[in-house]
Amino acid sequence: MTGLFPGFLTLSAAMFALGALGVMLRRNPLVVFMSIELMLNAGNLALITYARYTHTMAGQVFALIVIAVAASEVVVGLALITGVYRSGRRLDIDDLSEMRE
Amino acid sequence: MNPTFTLVLGAIALGLPTAGFLVNALTAGKLPRRVVSFLGPGVVLGAFVASLLLLVELLSQSPAHRGITVVFWHWLNLSVGSAGGAVAQSGFNANFSVRIDPLAVLMMLVITGIGGLIHVYSVGYMAEDAGYNRFFAYMNLFITSMLLLVMSENLIFLIIGWSMVAFASYALIAFWYQRPAAVTAGRKAFITQVIGDVGLVLGAFLIFLNLRGSNGQLLHTVDLRTIFVNVGPGAHFHNGLGLMGGGLVTVIGILLFVGAAAKSAQWPLHTWLPDAMEGPTPVSALIHAATMVTAGVYLIARFHPIYQQAPIAAGVVAAVGIGTALMAAIIGCTQYDIKRVIAYSTMSQIGLMIFAVGVGAYSAGMFQFFTHACFKALLFLAAGNVIHALHDEQDIRSMGGLSTRMRLTFGAFLVGSLALAGIPLFAGWFSKEELLSSGLALGPAVPWLWLLGVSVNVLTSFYIFRVVWMAFRGQPASSRAAAANEARPVMLVPVLVLAFLAAVVGFLNIDFFGFHPVTVFSAFLQPVLGTPAAHASDGIQALALLVGTLLSVLGLTLAWAVYGRRVISPDLISRNLPWIYQLSLQKFYWDEIYDAVLVRPSLAFAGVVRQVFEPRIFDRLVDGVKVGVGTLADDLRTMQTGFFRDYALIFFVCAVVGLVVLGLRLA
Repeated sequence: MTGLFPGFLTLSAAMFALGALGVMLRRNPLVVFMSIELMLNAGNLALITYARYTHTMAGQVFALIVIAVAASEVVVGLALITGVYRSGRRLDIDDLSEMRE
Repeated sequence: MNPTFTLVLGAIALGLPTAGFLVNALTAGKLPRRVVSFLGPGVVLGAFVASLLLLVELLSQSPAHRGITVVFWHWLNLSVGSAGGAVAQSGFNANFSVRIDPLAVLMMLVITGIGGLIHVYSVGYMAEDAGYNRFFAYMNLFITSMLLLVMSENLIFLIIGWSMVAFASYALIAFWYQRPAAVTAGRKAFITQVIGDVGLVLGAFLIFLNLRGSNGQLLHTVDLRTIFVNVGPGAHFHNGLGLMGGGLVTVIGILLFVGAAAKSAQWPLHTWLPDAMEGPTPVSALIHAATMVTAGVYLIARFHPIYQQAPIAAGVVAAVGIGTALMAAIIGCTQYDIKRVIAYSTMSQIGLMIFAVGVGAYSAGMFQFFTHACFKALLFLAAGNVIHALHDEQDIRSMGGLSTRMRLTFGAFLVGSLALAGIPLFAGWFSKEELLSSGLALGPAVPWLWLLGVSVNVLTSFYIFRVVWMAFRGQPASSRAAAANEARPVMLVPVLVLAFLAAVVGFLNIDFFGFHPVTVFSAFLQPVLGTPAAHASDGIQALALLVGTLLSVLGLTLAWAVYGRRVISPDLISRNLPWIYQLSLQKFYWDEIYDAVLVRPSLAFAGVVRQVFEPRIFDRLVDGVKVGVGTLADDLRTMQTGFFRDYALIFFVCAVVGLVVLGLRLA
């Protein structure tokens, strides 16, 4: 089991990098959103790996909290995206830049 | 003394005027005038009754036990090694507490008694004024502050009362705030008071920081009695303030006198008093005759243990007092404004009191304060009747012939003048002669100071009878004077009561049972003020009395000859010694001197700052900050693109950089 830890961590890092790239490169808010979820779960994976590695429970507890936060975030985020869509606008985050100045 | 009874009475005396002020002020003029007319004077007279009961309580004790400290509230109690409540020997204690002793009760009686009469008078005098409620609010506030000042048993509340008096005085002088002259006068008075406050506070700090107890330890106390015990002759001289040689205690004495001089309008802080006559006449009577201006005399009498250790400071006090007395008396001889003549007379009489407390004749000074409060308030109120009847005419050249039209007011004014001049059997005679003969016994440069003092006598009776003849006798000099009518009863009764007092209070001092040489007054004040160091022998006293009285009568006769009989031309002096006349008429040019030495340089300096520093340095500094922030903001604004990906990129880059830095540091 212990030998697998570097693999888990590598997987986690790869997932996080993919998510980060997705956030920065994609223009569809839904895909950006999925990328964020990917990053969160990469974090979860790393947390649980370290929890097993150190034989403590803290990482697992954190992972549970992250899942709860992610769920809440999805609720808010999807509501926002739906709201933007309903107002008849294109779902493109580069178009949603009125907050500038 | 019964502590509970005293506490209740003290609380009533201090609380009633406070309540009157609060009610009047917080209702903001909504209270009907009829209510204010009873509330305003009522609270002060109530306080007077409480003071009278305190006097009875004091007199029921043996002299040694006349004095009790009443604690209303343990305000600050930073005792070392004691859990509050109990008063520790070490540590800092400042309670809201009052000291009921003969000196305090005497002051309270005058403040609330004379003050109460003046309040009653104001009901008539201010009847048509739009600011009726405001006026009584300020008056009650003044009474409260003054009571706090004289009752306080520690430095802190004494200073609080001292400054509140200054504020109340400012508010009352500038009461008619639509008149620029009144506002300027109020401001001038307040600024002068603040100069005095600085002196008093610095003196208090020096006492607090340097006073040592009998075991040589620094006391850090604000309690007046502790201070006096440790500074006085009973203390080990090398342990008390005297440790610093005579120097420190002299500095303290002079600093305290700066405060006293500002309150009591003594040179060089005297110029505010004549200008303060811009306020309503009852204010002049209350503040500038009976109470506030005597606070300086009270202060020095109260702090006499310090002055007994500081002969130089006491000498300064006496010299300034007698100098001011003479100067003000000379100025009084040429003024035409009836209130200003009385104002200079006040300054002069208070100079005499300051002289007395300076040479150590404390009870003589306080006795003069007591009689002076009666006859000077009387003179002001009677003058107020005249001014009221003549529709705000104050120039005695436009008066004349009023004695037939205002008989009672004339009679009262005459009694006041006789008392002021020191004509035998009137109040002023008793006090002034005692004062001058004490000065003769105690003063260091005895005959000189005494000569100056008695020459004040001539001038005093001259200038006040000049007013009597010019304003009340002869023919009316204006249509207003010819049409003047006697004042309303509400204004007349207080004047007549005061006239009665001015005629008889002098007899209070006569010991009908003959315990020579201590007079009743000094016996009453003895527990606080001690006995004078020396008495003039009977022969000298009798001689002084005779000379003083003769000189007073001489002044009266002179005034009669010049202004009554007109056998001597009034411009005899102005023609032959024009410089003396001009000096007197122009009030010794003090206002001009201060203008040239203080006001103009300040204005010039302010002008330079305005012209040079303001545009070239301060403005540029401020503008520079503005421009700098604006430029920075313009540059930073370009970062805010509104594109989500840009923010995310910045976020990730920063996170990576942060992690790398963290990793490097850990490694």
